[in-house]
Amino acid sequence: MIDLAFTLLGLATICFGYRTLAGPSLTDRMTGVNGMLTAGMAGVVVHAVETGNGAFLPVLVVVGLVGFVGTGMIARFIEGHGR
Amino acid sequence: MIGEALLVIGAAFILLAALGILRFSDVFVRMQILSKASTFGLLCVLAGGLITMDSANDITSILIAGLLHLVSSPVGSNLLARATYFAEGIDHHIDTVDELADNRSGPSWDEG
Repeated sequence: MIDLAFTLLGLATICFGYRTLAGPSLTDRMTGVNGMLTAGMAGVVVHAVETGNGAFLPVLVVVGLVGFVGTGMIARFIEGHGR
Repeated sequence: MIGEALLVIGAAFILLAALGILRFSDVFVRMQILSKASTFGLLCVLAGGLITMDSANDITSILIAGLLHLVSSPVGSNLLARATYFAEGIDHHIDTVDELADNRSGPSWDEG
């Protein structure tokens, strides 16, 4: 069950990574990065459930904050430059 | 057992969001599919962790992370979509009513 969840998250990360590399606009690249961050957060939770050790769970809060600040910064950049 | 099933369901929804981002053709459609499907998937995974973990420290971390994602994800998506709509050189087409069409000149709050 845990291995299945890790496999699905890995496939999702590959798809998000393709969109990050090949996205035609900067918005698509930021969308792909956000998706990879989401898959990584889910991976942290699955790892914590697998080992029963929740030492890495505060990483979820940090990754969420960094993703939000990065999205806002890229939005301001797109307003200034376009594409 | 229920917790692990929630983990697998959430991971499947995140994979569905990834497939949508891979396959759909318009910028706004891709942003919307990320906002909806991956938020639901991540909340399912967090609920699975919430059921399984039993330390108060871990439960508090998961609750704060879920609340933060629920609050910050729509705000970030709105910022990015508005910037994309007003930007030059990003192709998009909107099939239904376009309520910002008479405001094409740019974000008015940028001049203050």
